[in-house]
Amino acid sequence: MERETEIMTEIQAQPTTTITPALRGPVAMQLRDVAVSFHGRTAVRDCSFDVVKNRVTSLIGPSGSGKTTLLRALNRLHDLTPGAKVSGQILLEGTDIYRGNLTVTELRTRVGMVFQRPNPFPTMSIYDNAVSGLRFNGIKKKSLLDEAAESSLRSAALWDSVSSRLKVAASNLSGGEQQRLCIARALALEPEVLLMDEPTSALDPVATLRIEELMTSLKSRVTVVIVTHNMQQAARISDDCAFLLMGEDRAGELIEFDTTEKIFNNPVDSRTLDYTLGRFG
Amino acid sequence: MDQVALDILRDEEVVAENTPAATPRSWYANVLLVAAALFAAVSVGFVGTIFWSSLPTWVHHGGTLLTSSSWVSPAGPFGGLAMISGTFETSIIALVIAVIIGLGTSISIVFFIPRRFRTVVATFVELLAAIPSVVYGLWGLLVIAPWMETTVNPWLNKWPFAKAIFGNSGQEFGTSLLLASVVLGIMILPTFVAISREVIAVVPQDLQEASLSLGATRWQMIREVVLPTAKIGLFGATFLALARATGETVAVALVAGSVANAQFHLLYPGTSIAAWIATEFGEAQGNEISALMALGVILMVLNVGLALISRALVSRQRKVLARV
Repeated sequence: MERETEIMTEIQAQPTTTITPALRGPVAMQLRDVAVSFHGRTAVRDCSFDVVKNRVTSLIGPSGSGKTTLLRALNRLHDLTPGAKVSGQILLEGTDIYRGNLTVTELRTRVGMVFQRPNPFPTMSIYDNAVSGLRFNGIKKKSLLDEAAESSLRSAALWDSVSSRLKVAASNLSGGEQQRLCIARALALEPEVLLMDEPTSALDPVATLRIEELMTSLKSRVTVVIVTHNMQQAARISDDCAFLLMGEDRAGELIEFDTTEKIFNNPVDSRTLDYTLGRFG
Repeated sequence: MDQVALDILRDEEVVAENTPAATPRSWYANVLLVAAALFAAVSVGFVGTIFWSSLPTWVHHGGTLLTSSSWVSPAGPFGGLAMISGTFETSIIALVIAVIIGLGTSISIVFFIPRRFRTVVATFVELLAAIPSVVYGLWGLLVIAPWMETTVNPWLNKWPFAKAIFGNSGQEFGTSLLLASVVLGIMILPTFVAISREVIAVVPQDLQEASLSLGATRWQMIREVVLPTAKIGLFGATFLALARATGETVAVALVAGSVANAQFHLLYPGTSIAAWIATEFGEAQGNEISALMALGVILMVLNVGLALISRALVSRQRKVLARV
């Protein structure tokens, strides 16, 4: 009886169904029992893991497993969705992003986002797109904006091809260039974390490869969290990997979190193995 | 007309032969084709007769119609400047009123009103378009006109500057170009809101989220991303509202004062092309009929032009959105 109580306490103390690997470095974001529901219906739950600094963390899993929903919780994009509720704790450098002393606009300048579809602002030039985040945050000084435009476009490997036509509408760029412009736009704010929601799903293989190279080169200065449908991509570019799956109640949940190498080669859960081997999904 | 119908029938036969499972044309297809041909003939005939009846005025008094403001019934001259200027003055002021109030309404409906009230408010605003214009005219005449006369008019005339602009007619019933503009502004509001709301609502969600993700406030998102993206369509809504204002007849006839007097003092009574045609037609004879028809041609060309511009803008907006 006593032994049983002990086990119970131990189970309760541990984040459920999660294996948090030993820290491999300082943590950028911590997720503790994160769940997201819409109008009382849970879309994803039981997510506890650490996003380690200067590494790429991928979220993988079949459709409906809540990857994107979880990602969007990390910069509070659910705030404007009626009926959306995020529970649990998400910490950015130790500060709770929902309840802590951090405004939503400040959070979003520190945690940037790149979307599935390349979506530069259609009415703005390449230059204006690149500095749009700075302008939203009240920076008007031309020298600062010029500097940020150049350095962010260089970081996104776009400067050489656009430096002579910065005033041209962003819609003139190819899909891959547009997506890199969106990355530059996010980088201009010098975020600590960059969230990417299937950033290459609308791109051809060559453009995809360039974005993947870019992510690897960006690691030294920004922590990346990427949602991807493409398992090869997750294996190629990510260091850590979270595998999510839709449970019986149609809510996504975290099955396993570990280094990408472990998830793909030696996972603990048999469902992870089945998924990475392509047996379902 | 028969020739047109036959041509259509022949084309139809060629298509039918080329389709794998060609079936004989049934009787109702013939009925529909005759109806379509009839419609085309009526349209051509309608426009043609109006042009034809106005021809004497264009040939003999075209200059007078466009430059003189003196309209003497029944002998002439028939100068249309008062109606033309009145149409533009009232429509443009109405448009300013409608765009300012309408844009605020559309933005509120899309972004600020709680979801469950959204449809109710939108439907309410759009139902205003279903109220017959004579009711608006009556309301303007019986409710707004006395208020203008006792409150607005004296207030505006307190300042020499305003008095210089608006003038003081000393009119007893309060009918004026300004009153017509206000009533028109309220009348075209639903048209503007219906289209501008639609144009704003279809700005892609991920563009809005992209701006929020860059630390934009909601208001920055609306001002710097949503409205610029919707800009062309908003101009389309503006031109359609303008077309409605220039063509409005009964309400203007009731509240503008029906005086053919071209001037820019908005507190004086005036008239518009449409209102003047409606009030003068009953007693018109000979040359005056032709002159009214000529005014009708001007109004028709103006309205069709505005509607075409509006359509072109809305379809360009669609292309812009297809590209993003």
